[in-house]
Amino acid sequence: MGWMSDHPWRSVPPVPSVVPLKRWVAAQADGLTRTQFARLVAYRAVLLAASLLLVLWAMTGGGTFWPGWAWLGLAAPLLLDLSWRLPRRLETVASQRVALIWALIATATLLLLGTWVMAGIDGDVTRFWPEWPLFGLTTGGIAYSVFTLHDRVLLAQGRRTLRARVDLLSTSRRATIDAQAAELRRIERDLHDGAQARLVALALHLGRAELRLDDQPEVQALIHDAQREADTAIAELRDLARGIVPPLLADRGLVAAVQALAAQSPLGTRVTADVGRPLEPAVENAAYFVIAEAVTNTTKHAAAEHSWVRLRADRRGLDLEVGDDGCGGADPSGSGLAGLRARVEALDGTLVVHSPPGEGTRLEVRLPCGS
Amino acid sequence: MRVVIAEDLALLREGIVALLREHDIDVVAQAEDGPGLLRAISGHAPDLAIVDVRLPPSFRDEGLRAALEARRRQPDLSVLVLSQYVETAYADELIAENSAGIGYLLKERIGDVRAFLDAVHRVAAGGTVLDRQVVTQMLAPHDRAPDGLAGLTAREREVLQLIAEGRSNAGIADALVVTPGAVEKHITSIFGKLDLPSQGDDHRRVLAVLAYLKAAG
Repeated sequence: MGWMSDHPWRSVPPVPSVVPLKRWVAAQADGLTRTQFARLVAYRAVLLAASLLLVLWAMTGGGTFWPGWAWLGLAAPLLLDLSWRLPRRLETVASQRVALIWALIATATLLLLGTWVMAGIDGDVTRFWPEWPLFGLTTGGIAYSVFTLHDRVLLAQGRRTLRARVDLLSTSRRATIDAQAAELRRIERDLHDGAQARLVALALHLGRAELRLDDQPEVQALIHDAQREADTAIAELRDLARGIVPPLLADRGLVAAVQALAAQSPLGTRVTADVGRPLEPAVENAAYFVIAEAVTNTTKHAAAEHSWVRLRADRRGLDLEVGDDGCGGADPSGSGLAGLRARVEALDGTLVVHSPPGEGTRLEVRLPCGS
Repeated sequence: MRVVIAEDLALLREGIVALLREHDIDVVAQAEDGPGLLRAISGHAPDLAIVDVRLPPSFRDEGLRAALEARRRQPDLSVLVLSQYVETAYADELIAENSAGIGYLLKERIGDVRAFLDAVHRVAAGGTVLDRQVVTQMLAPHDRAPDGLAGLTAREREVLQLIAEGRSNAGIADALVVTPGAVEKHITSIFGKLDLPSQGDDHRRVLAVLAYLKAAG
C-alpha cells in the first residue's frame, strides 16, 4: 500500500476496503455454485473489456475499426461456452447431441460472418468467401441430425410397437387360457352327458334284452359280456372326464370342490374361504390344480399333523394359501413346485413357497382375474 | 307304485320308462329339467322321483337341488338320484336330514336291470341305497376316523359296503359267493369292531352305518 501515500489522488476517499468487496462478491454469488459464479465474473469481464476497447478506440481517434477483431476473439469462448451448456437442458441424449452440433455450427457461423464483416471493413474483401465453409457445416449438421434423430424416432417407434405387441400377447394368451378352460368344461360335460349317457342307455337296453332271454342262456351270456364292455367304457369315460375337470368343480365351483378335496384328505385339511363372487373357469382350474397338488404333497412328504387351505377372492383376483405344520424344507425349484409355478404364471399369477426346515410349509399363490 | 322321472336325455329317459312299465311300475310323469320335476311332483304326488343330477339349462346340479326341494315340499317322497359320477358331498346333502327313502346311484347301475329294479323298490319303500362307490369314498382311510374302521379286514369292508348299499344278508352272500352264515359272522364282527349294536333289519343297519360314517366324517 506504499504507493497510496505519494499518489496524486490522495485527497479522494480511500478505495473501498476489501470487506465491502467481499460483501459484494458474496451478494453476487448468492445462490450460485462456484462454477456459475466464475462464469458470471468471466462474462462481465468480457463485456467490460469489450466496452473498454470501444472507448479506447474512440479515444484514439477512431480510424480502422480494430476492436471488432478483439470482439471476435472475446466472443469465441463465450459462444463455445453457451454452445456447450444450453443443449444440456434438453431431455434426451440424442436431442442434446443434435442441439450441441447446431450450437457449434451457429458459433462457427457467427465467427465466420464476423471475420468476413471485419475483413470487409478492413477493405480487402471482394466476395462472400464463407459460403463454402457454411455450406459444409450446415450439410454436416443436417446429416448428423437426420441420422441421430432418425435412430431415436425408430427406437421410440420400436418401443411402442413392442409394448403394443406385449399387450396383445398378454391379452390373447389370457383369452386362450380362458377359452381352453371353458372348452375343457364343455368336453367334460359332453363326455358325461353325451357319450357316457348314451352308453348307459345302451347298457339299459341290453339289460332289458337280457331279461327277456331267460330261455336262451348262450345269448344271455353274450349280452352280459356286451354290458360289461359298456360298463368298462362308461367307467373309462368317467375317469377321463374327471381327469379333465373334476365334476364338482364344474358344478359347484372352487370352494365346494376344495372342501370335498379336504374332506377326503387323511389330514382333515381345514378350509377357510371368503369367495363371494363366481371366479373364471381358468382361475378355478388353476387354483384347484395347485391346491390338489399341494395337499397331496403335504400328505405324502410333510409328516404334518395339521394342514389348511385359505381362499380369499376380491375384484382383482384370488389369493390362496396352502399350509401345514410338517417338516418343511420343500425345494422351491423341485419339479412339483416348478409345475405349479408354470401353471400359476400362465395366468400372470405369483407363487411363493415358505418352507424353512422344521417349520412347516406355506404356499402362497395369487391369481389375478382377467380384465 | 307311482313314479316321476327327470332325465334330459330322451333316449335314456324312455328306456327307463319302458323298463319300469315292463315291471308294472306306474310312471305318471316325465320331466326334462328341475322346474319340470317340481311341477310333476306337485301335480301327481308320486311315491318316488328318479332324478338325474345334471339337468338343463346349466347342467350343473339342478337335478339334485330340485330333488332336495321336492323332499322339502313332500317329505314322504322317496328320491332316487342318478349321476354320471359320485360325490360324497352330494350323498351327504341327500341323507343330511333324513336318509329314509333316499337312493344315490351311478347311472350305469341301470344296466344291471335286476339290481336297479331292486333299488327302485327298496328306495320307494323307504330304504336307503347308496352306490358302492360312494360308500368306498366314505370308507376311504381317514387318520381322523376312529380306530375301529382301520381294524376292519378287507372282507369286512366289502361286507360293510354291501350293507350300506342296502343289501340283505342273502344278497351279500350272493355277491361275495359265501354262505349266509359267513356273512352273519362278518356283520357281527364289524358291528363289534365299530362298537355298534347289531340290528335285525336291513334298513336299520344302513342307518347305523350312515350314522357311524357321518360321525366319522
